[in-house]
Amino acid sequence: MKAAHGRFRHCARRGLAALGFLSAASLAAGAGVSAPTEPYVHVPMPPHFRVEATELDGPVFADPRGRTLYTWPFKIMRVGNTGDPKGQSHCTSVKTTESSGYMSPYPGGLEMPELDTRPSCVQMWPPVLADASAKPVGKWTIVKREDGNRQWAFDGLPVYTSVLDARPGDVLGGERYDHEGDDPAVRVPIGPPADVPPGFKVTTTVIGRLLQNERGFSVYASDADSSTRSNCDASCARTWPPMLAPESVRPHGEWTIIERSPGVRQWAFRGKPLYRYALDTRARSLAGSDEPGWHNVYTQRAPAPPAEFTVQETTSGQVLADAHGMTIYAYTCGDDAIDQLGCDHPTETQVYRLMMCGGGDAARCLRNFPYVAAPAGAVSHSRSWSVISIDPMSGRRARADDAKSLRVWAYRDRPVYVYAGDAQPGDVNGDAYGEFRGEREGYNAFWLRDDYFGRGG
Amino acid sequence: MNMLKASSLLVALGLACQAGAADAPAGAPVNGSIAYALTNLHWANYQTEGGKSECPDGFNEGNREQFKKLYPENGPKRTLVDTQLRWEIESWYPTLADDGFAFHEARGTTALGLNLDGKVGPNDFTSPTGEPGIDNQLFRALGCIKNYRGPDGAIQFFDDEMIGRDQYNRLIFEITGVEDLVNSPNVQVTLYRGRDPLLYDATGKKVVPGGSQRIDSRWGARYIQHMRGSIKDGVLTTEPVDIVYPWAPFYIATDEFMRAGRLRMKLTPTTAEGLIAGYSDVESWYLQMMKNWSTHHQNYGQTSAPALYRALRRLADAYPDPKSGANTAISSALRAEFTQVAIVPASRPQPATLAAIAARRPAEPYRGPPDPRQPQRPTAAVASPAASLAGAN
Repeated sequence: MKAAHGRFRHCARRGLAALGFLSAASLAAGAGVSAPTEPYVHVPMPPHFRVEATELDGPVFADPRGRTLYTWPFKIMRVGNTGDPKGQSHCTSVKTTESSGYMSPYPGGLEMPELDTRPSCVQMWPPVLADASAKPVGKWTIVKREDGNRQWAFDGLPVYTSVLDARPGDVLGGERYDHEGDDPAVRVPIGPPADVPPGFKVTTTVIGRLLQNERGFSVYASDADSSTRSNCDASCARTWPPMLAPESVRPHGEWTIIERSPGVRQWAFRGKPLYRYALDTRARSLAGSDEPGWHNVYTQRAPAPPAEFTVQETTSGQVLADAHGMTIYAYTCGDDAIDQLGCDHPTETQVYRLMMCGGGDAARCLRNFPYVAAPAGAVSHSRSWSVISIDPMSGRRARADDAKSLRVWAYRDRPVYVYAGDAQPGDVNGDAYGEFRGEREGYNAFWLRDDYFGRGG
Repeated sequence: MNMLKASSLLVALGLACQAGAADAPAGAPVNGSIAYALTNLHWANYQTEGGKSECPDGFNEGNREQFKKLYPENGPKRTLVDTQLRWEIESWYPTLADDGFAFHEARGTTALGLNLDGKVGPNDFTSPTGEPGIDNQLFRALGCIKNYRGPDGAIQFFDDEMIGRDQYNRLIFEITGVEDLVNSPNVQVTLYRGRDPLLYDATGKKVVPGGSQRIDSRWGARYIQHMRGSIKDGVLTTEPVDIVYPWAPFYIATDEFMRAGRLRMKLTPTTAEGLIAGYSDVESWYLQMMKNWSTHHQNYGQTSAPALYRALRRLADAYPDPKSGANTAISSALRAEFTQVAIVPASRPQPATLAAIAARRPAEPYRGPPDPRQPQRPTAAVASPAASLAGAN
């Protein structure tokens, strides 16, 4: 078995390199956000507001103290809707005591867990208040709260900070990753538009901020090209159609234009001419990077995962795995009260997770979905991947010097796990394990790439 | 299901299962090989109108109905932990404890399927065309759950629908060594997964033959499997082998494991229709169901996951666990339809790739939660309402 693990680890390292996780640039990003960050459009902001670079979500708006700003977009759910409509905040100081029943098929009116310590919405999501002299600017407006206070809004949606964020650049309250389907009504960090030419857009993935064309198809670059010349000839271009730049556009910032042939102009980013991959059949694909010398393009890379982690192949793509090749899982949770509070961070209620991993038995949880222990001496290399101390029986944060605590790996400040029901590397038996297929509450594999269902990359 | 549609289904299945093949055109395919891609797949359940024959006691209750009885609105104050989460745990960590609710197994003597063990036993069925010894205990578990009945049962509908929609499910079988499509005593059958969309006609509903398919020999390596078989009177029959096949019926990548699986397909130059039958691994089957069909989805057609789990374990009829002696697999049959496709030659795995795949540790069936719960009532507080209401089912 050890030999098998060694082989898998070897393969996995190649996998990590192929994904760029072990590139010098991404390792350099470990101590913070010193690697290239995403260029953005400077837009008007309220006085003293600023833009902070973040590891996973690109540039985000922040308040004068550097705290990331979020909105709570209105969401139509299975049995009702919640979130903020434009111009109105539904996040109040009233503590919610009963479930909403928005998550079919369960009825509303069920008493929420741990009522004595349950916070109100504004305790978790303090509104960003505007003083009496504040005036609208650009897309920033001011809405009036029920208590009479004035609250900043962006693009019509009231703006909040998260109590989970401790430092400028933290984005622990939510993520820009596109939430669809039956996920809770989540909070989303807001930021300035990415500085990309017309016809391009950028989306958050676990690997980095992925450059796409306007339809969501991935954009690629070739090692064979230089900053002024494409070596992809007419035959090559049938498979790799160039991202053409119309006559009306001009180079700016890190965006340049090369002339493929007289009158035929092609966009380049950071000195690399850009292409689409004709064989991509779905948005956000990484399949083109299987072709030697071709790579997806990111405006910025996500920090490298722990060095001992591996990449394993499954029946639909690649997952992040521990040192033994066993799939890594994240637990995500949003409760079914009208304020849709989180329940997956160690400072939040652990009731849901302890039920899902062990029927309420913490010891069984540790056997079914054990934490991924950090090796002795392991330290946090980034904010995205950190070492934290956990009380294994409560699931809450613990003091590092508590003899009963565990030092575990965490992603976005939340512990990660393996599933003891996986028999061998590549198994994902614990994926989609939870309420509403793990979308509402449960364990999901850490997908890096999924050629069939588009998860991860 | 109306009788006309039921009759059509039975006729189609009968054609696949009986010897007569007068409409099958003769002739050998080019190079003696032909490939077909899966276009429809669902569990083969024999039906009569309203379930009169197979479900004389009616259809089963689902999660929603049982939840209401366990946790009545006008009862004690309901907490989310003791009701909603408790029910989820009953589903994700099911036990064999009696919950007090009745479960209606499909009854009668008729079922679709194949004689898997070559015997005619007391629990066996007879096929609609008169073939005795049919082994399909899964039908007993599913036959009276509305979700699994056609054509309106949600799971049956989506099982078929997603086969076409998601490439993950693009199961292909290729027959080689074909002398002609009516009679070929020795053929080889290889299973693959394709990577490409199916080719539809202008309506967008009907798959047409001749579409191309690239073989997925990377993510789909475990699905490359080989079988031996024969074609007699236009019907392909393969020898039983353990097979694993991809099936994500509702967007979650999952596998099904079938022991002693075999095909019986009526072949034409453009289609293959019939049954895939064998002993389905119970824990893998249940995991696939739970991961794809949430409690919400199960309620589309009155499925109670804990009750279904108990039925699967109760009816499992093969492959006993060496330690516990409990059967781990249940006889089953799938109704399958395929359409002819052309495999892209360049996508065929090279010998070195095939050798590497063969050297891999084979995929293993799921063995259930590593630390399962012991049999117990849902909770002491709710046990008595369930028991007292059970008589009303």
